[in-house]
Amino acid sequence: MELPLTELKDGEKGTVTSIKVSKGRGRRRKRSRSSWGLERRLMDMGLTPNTTVQVVKSAPFKGPIEIIVRGSRLALGRGIAERVLVEVEK
Amino acid sequence: MTDKKLTIALAGNANVGKSVIFNHLTGLHQHIGNWPGKTVEKAEGTLHYKGYTIDIVDLPGIYSLSTFSLEELISREYIAVEKPDLVINVVDASILERNLFFSLQLIELEIPMILALNQIDIAKSNGIEIDCEKLEKILGVPVVPTVAIKGIGVSDLLEKVIETVEKNRKTNPSKIRYGEEVEEKIRKIVGRIEKFQYKYPPRYTSIKLLEGDEEIQRDVMEIDPEIISTSQRLAGEIERIHGHSCSTVITSERYEVAGEITREIQKITTPKKTSLRETIHTLTTHRILGYPIMIATVLSIFFIIFTLGDFFSGLLSDFFYGWQLAFKSLFGEGIIARLLWGGIIEGIIAGITVAIPYIAPFYFILYLLEDSGYLSRIAFLMDNLMHKIGLHGKAFIPLMLGYGCNVPACLGCRIMETERERLLAGFITTLVPCAATTVIIVGLVGTFVGFEWALAIYIFNLCIIFILGKIASKVLPGEPTALIMEMNEYRVPHLKTVAKQAWFRLKEFIETAFPLIIAGSFLIKLLDVLKLLDQIAFILSPITVIWLGLPTIAGIILIFGVLRKELTLIMLATLLGTTNFGSVLTPIQMVVFTLVTIFYIPCISTIAVLFKEFGYKNALFITIFEIVFAILLGGIAFRLLPMLGVL
Repeated sequence: MELPLTELKDGEKGTVTSIKVSKGRGRRRKRSRSSWGLERRLMDMGLTPNTTVQVVKSAPFKGPIEIIVRGSRLALGRGIAERVLVEVEK
Repeated sequence: MTDKKLTIALAGNANVGKSVIFNHLTGLHQHIGNWPGKTVEKAEGTLHYKGYTIDIVDLPGIYSLSTFSLEELISREYIAVEKPDLVINVVDASILERNLFFSLQLIELEIPMILALNQIDIAKSNGIEIDCEKLEKILGVPVVPTVAIKGIGVSDLLEKVIETVEKNRKTNPSKIRYGEEVEEKIRKIVGRIEKFQYKYPPRYTSIKLLEGDEEIQRDVMEIDPEIISTSQRLAGEIERIHGHSCSTVITSERYEVAGEITREIQKITTPKKTSLRETIHTLTTHRILGYPIMIATVLSIFFIIFTLGDFFSGLLSDFFYGWQLAFKSLFGEGIIARLLWGGIIEGIIAGITVAIPYIAPFYFILYLLEDSGYLSRIAFLMDNLMHKIGLHGKAFIPLMLGYGCNVPACLGCRIMETERERLLAGFITTLVPCAATTVIIVGLVGTFVGFEWALAIYIFNLCIIFILGKIASKVLPGEPTALIMEMNEYRVPHLKTVAKQAWFRLKEFIETAFPLIIAGSFLIKLLDVLKLLDQIAFILSPITVIWLGLPTIAGIILIFGVLRKELTLIMLATLLGTTNFGSVLTPIQMVVFTLVTIFYIPCISTIAVLFKEFGYKNALFITIFEIVFAILLGGIAFRLLPMLGVL
């Protein structure tokens, strides 16, 4: 089942399927420069398709989430984490 | 015999101990400045070793060479255009896979390179065992294990540098193979690009063209536009086959290679017990406990800095003013002597009594926290709140610093990724009441109006920060970026490196702010000597007296406050002839006066930094905006407070 990274429970693992780039469901420009840059940065930090990510925990009040990817610990803002789609591992 | 010259560059991810290695290599012979025209730090140093004079450049910490950020572009340009004799790639052994991803890109640049496998001790305690020889064989790059913080391996590193340079060994990217579809496309482009002279090697250029690298596309467009259309067509083919953009495919495959190498050379045994590092991390990012820990840490730091700072500042100022009499007997009390003392010397004293007791320890603790890894945890906890004003968690750091002093706070905005965020963060930090303003809030309102009113002013100030921040984030063009931040493992900070960073920042502050402090102090003294201050106060009286309801002398005081805001309280006492402000000012006047001093202008040192960081237009705009805003706010408060009947 494909879910945004933010839907995973603490400690759950998933495999990255894709990163949603466009935000405004096609109404806005399809690929603004900055969101393209964000996608690149996520990739450069190791969040490429088929990579396993583990959600460690999220900060309270819908704060950022802490994940482990390729052995490194990253903090992702909720807004950006919502755009990372993962296939949950059973 | 003259030494042979060598230039080497240190490159690697952020937080891998690059600057510690840099410090070990260069010792005291170093210089930290900015890259020409950029607000990115450039550290350079020199050392002598075995008949070589070696210049070392510490490149900014980056994760890729894909030119997403200024730092990446600078690093890539430097390596390709300045062509250092060798690049030392510093790698964090405990996060090998992601670090190798960057190493692979360096190897593709076909340069002389060695790999410093740093923090092997942390890797070991995490249960990671690495086969260095095998890594060396696979990458075709000399590998030197190091524990920079203890100085282990640094001399081996130098040996290898000399050896590699003398053999003139360059990296060979032929071992880095992507999937066959990609390789085929690379070959096609390489075939067409080989005949041109370009700063990057053909294979690298081809890969970057497929990835859609804008800088390289622009350059190649000028050489042969047809190559661009071909590469775009080929990239489109890859996109159709894989269902992802070509740059995604290449990045994935590069990570695949990094992952494969990592799996081949490292053995992982899970450590029996959770490490202390892990426990501290869990506690400091805990959804409940994290916050009290953060508040306690920050408050105790401020407490220490201000008690000690206050003490030393007083000591220094006593020392300097001790010379005043001697000065007077030497130079008399003529106009020139008064200008010299009151204008220039007092300006210098003012600068020194802020810089040494407050700003120096402030920077030291800041870098201590950063180096240990705690700042990224604070950013994690505060991300959510900062999003409300269009920023992300990292912006909380300068905001927090602002409560101490706006100057390092504005300089601290460099941690933000984009120009837009830097400016936005810079703007809101100038609204934060700094230590000097705190003196006024507590000394005037807290003492003579009531503690709850002092508190109310702080809360009101926070509201204003949020409202203005929100408006500014709406007005400034560009989209807000999100938090993508590594939380590196906690570690014991390297004191020498921290002290050096603090020292260079202090120097920067002195260079930026002192000329303005002295000039400002001179100008005001000149007005004083020429007996123009009263006239100015009179000219300002429609604003100060009629609109704000303050005594006429407030005009003079506010002018002096531009130099240092705490001066306003001292001058208020001098000009009113009493420190019992309650007897000469009404509570409303005190609240209005305090509100105006908080907002009315960033002090002159802050203006200097704003000017340096954001250009004169932005600095001027922020300054004028805040003057107008404070006057409006003060006038409204003056009229509204009596109506509420609370004072």
